[in-house]
Amino acid sequence: MTEQTTPSAPPKMAARHVNVFYGDKQAIRDVSIEIDNDHVIAFIGPSGCGKSTFLRTLNRMNDTVAGARVEGDITLDGENIYDPSMDVVQLRARVGMVFQKPNPFPKSIYDNIAYGPRIHGLANSKADLDVIVESALRRAGLWDEVKDRLKDSGTALSGGQQQRLCIGRAIAVEPEVILMDEPCSALDPIATAKIEELIHELRGRYAIAIVTHNMQQAARVSQRTAFFHLGTLVEYGVTSEIFTNPREDRTKDYITGRYG
Amino acid sequence: MSGTAITILIIGLGLIAWLSARARALRLAHAGRASPPSAPSPAPEARPRGPLLHSLPSYHGWYAAIWVAVPALLFLTVWTSLMPGLVTDRVLQDPAAATLPQDAFSRGAILSEGRAIAQGKAAAAFDPRSNAFVEPYREAQRFYSIGGGVIALLLAFAGGAYAFTRIRPDFRARTRVERLVMLGLLIASLIAIITTVGIVASLLWESIRFFSLVNPVDFLFGTKWSPQSAALGYGNENAFGAVPLFWGTIFIGAIIAMAVAIPLGLMSAIYLTQYARPAARKWLKPILEVLAGVPTVVYGYFAALTIAPAMRDFAVSIGISSASSESALAAGLVMGVMIIPFVSSMADDSISSVPQAMRDGSLAMGATTSETIRQVLLPAALPGVVGGVLLAVSRAIGETMIVVMAAGLAANLTLNPFASVTTVTTQIVQLLTGDQEFDSAKTLAAFALGLVLFIVTLLLNIVALQVVKRYREAYE
Amino acid sequence: MTSPPPDETLTRRIPTDWKGQAMQRRIAARYRAERRFRLIGLASILLSAGFLAFLLVSMLGNGLSGFTRTEIAVKFDFPRAPMVVDPAMLEGGNADQVLAGANLPVVTAQAANAALGEGGDALISSNAWLTVRDAIRDDPSILQREAVLSLPASADIDLAAKSQGTAQAEAAYARLKQGGHVSRAINMPFLTASDATDPTQVGIWGAFKGSLLTMLVTLLLSFPVGVLAALYLEEYAPRNRWTDMIEVSINNLAAVPSIIFGLLGLAVFLNMMHLPRSAPLVGGLTMALMTMPVIVIAGRNAIKAVPPSIRDAALGIGASPVQVVFHHVLPLALPGIMTGTIIGMARALGETAPLLMIGMRAFIASPPGGVTDPATVLPVQIFLWSDEISKGFVEKTSAAIIVLLLFLLGMNSIAIYLRNKFEKRW
Repeated sequence: MTEQTTPSAPPKMAARHVNVFYGDKQAIRDVSIEIDNDHVIAFIGPSGCGKSTFLRTLNRMNDTVAGARVEGDITLDGENIYDPSMDVVQLRARVGMVFQKPNPFPKSIYDNIAYGPRIHGLANSKADLDVIVESALRRAGLWDEVKDRLKDSGTALSGGQQQRLCIGRAIAVEPEVILMDEPCSALDPIATAKIEELIHELRGRYAIAIVTHNMQQAARVSQRTAFFHLGTLVEYGVTSEIFTNPREDRTKDYITGRYG
Repeated sequence: MSGTAITILIIGLGLIAWLSARARALRLAHAGRASPPSAPSPAPEARPRGPLLHSLPSYHGWYAAIWVAVPALLFLTVWTSLMPGLVTDRVLQDPAAATLPQDAFSRGAILSEGRAIAQGKAAAAFDPRSNAFVEPYREAQRFYSIGGGVIALLLAFAGGAYAFTRIRPDFRARTRVERLVMLGLLIASLIAIITTVGIVASLLWESIRFFSLVNPVDFLFGTKWSPQSAALGYGNENAFGAVPLFWGTIFIGAIIAMAVAIPLGLMSAIYLTQYARPAARKWLKPILEVLAGVPTVVYGYFAALTIAPAMRDFAVSIGISSASSESALAAGLVMGVMIIPFVSSMADDSISSVPQAMRDGSLAMGATTSETIRQVLLPAALPGVVGGVLLAVSRAIGETMIVVMAAGLAANLTLNPFASVTTVTTQIVQLLTGDQEFDSAKTLAAFALGLVLFIVTLLLNIVALQVVKRYREAYE
Repeated sequence: MTSPPPDETLTRRIPTDWKGQAMQRRIAARYRAERRFRLIGLASILLSAGFLAFLLVSMLGNGLSGFTRTEIAVKFDFPRAPMVVDPAMLEGGNADQVLAGANLPVVTAQAANAALGEGGDALISSNAWLTVRDAIRDDPSILQREAVLSLPASADIDLAAKSQGTAQAEAAYARLKQGGHVSRAINMPFLTASDATDPTQVGIWGAFKGSLLTMLVTLLLSFPVGVLAALYLEEYAPRNRWTDMIEVSINNLAAVPSIIFGLLGLAVFLNMMHLPRSAPLVGGLTMALMTMPVIVIAGRNAIKAVPPSIRDAALGIGASPVQVVFHHVLPLALPGIMTGTIIGMARALGETAPLLMIGMRAFIASPPGGVTDPATVLPVQIFLWSDEISKGFVEKTSAAIIVLLLFLLGMNSIAIYLRNKFEKRW
């Protein structure tokens, strides 16, 4: 199977020989991977395999964990994001993130979406901000459900709506990459279906990386899949290939449900 | 026979009862077995054929010891509290009592002097008439203490005998002992309610007496406070208007102190939870806690000795000539410092209990730490912080020593922080120290002030705890 | 489900110009705000800590001199002094009584006048003859010869030696110093004597003993009751209105201002039960009511921290609920309960206001012999001295505060030690 995994254009984000340590413990070993605009990439693997840790290195959220250390290169448009000249505040605006559990701020729906544009100064006027909020909510597929109650608290929404609010919040700052850390694990099947549909719609506009423990979901939403095990990247390729014809035994065992 | 000796004797008897009842139970257990086992535990492989003890021998011991000691000691306690009255009654039946003067004061003085000599607390009588009562006191005391001792011992023996007759293999000594233990636990926890009832009852009772002398409306809404004039016989009208006291309390405790404590405490908590490295946090947190551990009398002395003169000099230097050396500002500032650790630890708790996901969510949007704190963490933690501030206010307005030592006694209604104001607690101390008779409006006023203070702090605490509880539940 | 966007411009992606000048300036400003905020936080902590340091330094600065006193060397010529004492009489245990009648105050005053010039008796403490008495008692042989004794200076001279005296006293002190008469010594009487009207003669032992007796009563009452109540509430109490009432009472009692407990003590223990005024017994009772909620709350937390698996294990092998608690839960929770108790006791030790209410502010010149004798406690003594007008009391007040703080520091250190040593993460 010699599927071409690297597109000809320079990748949006690329990781080369990345190692991550928590104190003395090595959580990620020598991972190299690329993330691009035209497809969704799914990170799968058993719990504790390092897929979430790796995702968090891509927008330097690991900086907030005491004792975390990253080695190797991770680039965004060719710039090393761990370079001292890289501004982490800007980086995180360009690489958005959606978390496992919906975490809307205890503010109104409007203020949740407007939070990012406000702190980054993306809107010059109230009218600008209104446009940004509406646009983000539309793209998050939430506008029709909440347009009459933008002043209600974001925490009053249902779980699925909260998660779409969080996606909308991330979209509102016009990121280039969106990282999703098991975005559906706390949701019911109907809400999950909506999020998956949303991911389909967002594909192409943003480079999207999604961590999931649900292989059906990975198969449904992604075009590329990376299988992690014990902190190493075991296999990386076109999703359909990985699921129908894995090269590695470990991948096969995991997909067929031997462990995980 | 003194009370201490008889108490020790009864405890000794209890010990003997414990040992012998246990020994008797052990014998019963041994007798019930084919072969003498080393311990009477119902181990399955040593299951005896004969009668088996329901309870371990030591429980039989405890059962007997409780029967010996508890009724006798209870009796002794009651007896000791009744004895002074009984002794006095008996002394008054002595022929010498007929010679006592009629007026109650000298009567009491002579009697208490006689008692003091009889108990060996005084060497000689100041008033020779007292000497006549020394012997009757001595005799009455001997009579009642020996009588009490004998009854207590009888009770102990009777209890012991009863307990002993009940030692039988099938007697459920453990159940009985445990039931008593539970009763003891229940009584211990009821003391909290009794204390609360005691506080409410004593404050209410004295306050009702006060309000029979002074109109409650005058008290709560009057603006002139001068209990001295009432004590001097100018009447109770317009002497007990407590509004200046309430204002002074709020001014010092809820305004000046909070203006110091809220910003400093909140920012300290933010720095400790969000910025300080663990090593620094480990050192800085205890330092803040030390501030809470310094006795208030030390703060009061510090305020009076150092801060208050500095404040007055400062006020004079900026041209306020009326500045008092007992300014509201000095007391309020020092009280604010005392309150910092309360605000800081409550804020610390509230900020720490905001879910990490909330913080991550904001940081992942590209917010800086301070933006995250101001726009996400603080609004989320606000109810907890508000609850903490309410608790701090309740603490500040009930604080006594700082204001007694550093704030004044002048009941002024003023907004000038360099002027002297007085507080509820200061006046309570002022009214109750000295030798007034207990029934004067002046002393009773202290209880009315205490009642107001109690109700206000109680309400603040209830509201604060409710707010904090709701807040905790929101994130659990 | 999602309706198609009506206006394409709404969803068109507008790339953000992160490298633009305006954006760079904005980011720089945000980082400045960040640094400023962080600095304010640090400054708040440092200000609080600085205040603590200022308080401690000012107490030490004022108080350390209270542990020393100024002594003046005075030569005694006992064989020629106007006193008649038979050295043989001093052998028994009643030397003090014999010497009390030996005209020592006059002898001392004369010796001072002879050694220091006219008016010398005013430079030494009015109680200096007690030092002479002790010297004779300890070594009767000095009665046969000349001896130089170091006598405590008067309050004025003592203050002058500490550069706080009046101009007159400073001049007298300068003369004494020139003559080589003065020295500094540890003020032992400060640790062994009781209250007095002369600041050079005061000591903290009486108040300290009062504190000890009061704390003893407090501990004996509040510890057992607090622990038993905590056990009941945490382990056995059924969930009903009564239990709720008990819990609400305890939580509120822990927050009731201490002066209210003083009012309770005054109304109930003094006016209703006629217990002796100013006595450690009443102080201890009042403090026990105040401390008990603290112990109950700390105890409940410690008991809660014992994992249920231990109870299940003990119940599983047939222990009764009482046995489970007294054999397993209580021993495991005890370090936590002790920590809470020490902290509660430390708070009670520093407490002043409720004791003022029950009359423990009297002038007590001799240490209490028992829990029913009139007494005062250390914080109240500090309060009383702080009210004295005489300047010599400033250093004594601060010195007493140093002693009190040292004790509190000791108690809290023990509590922290216990917490660190026994703290278990289950």
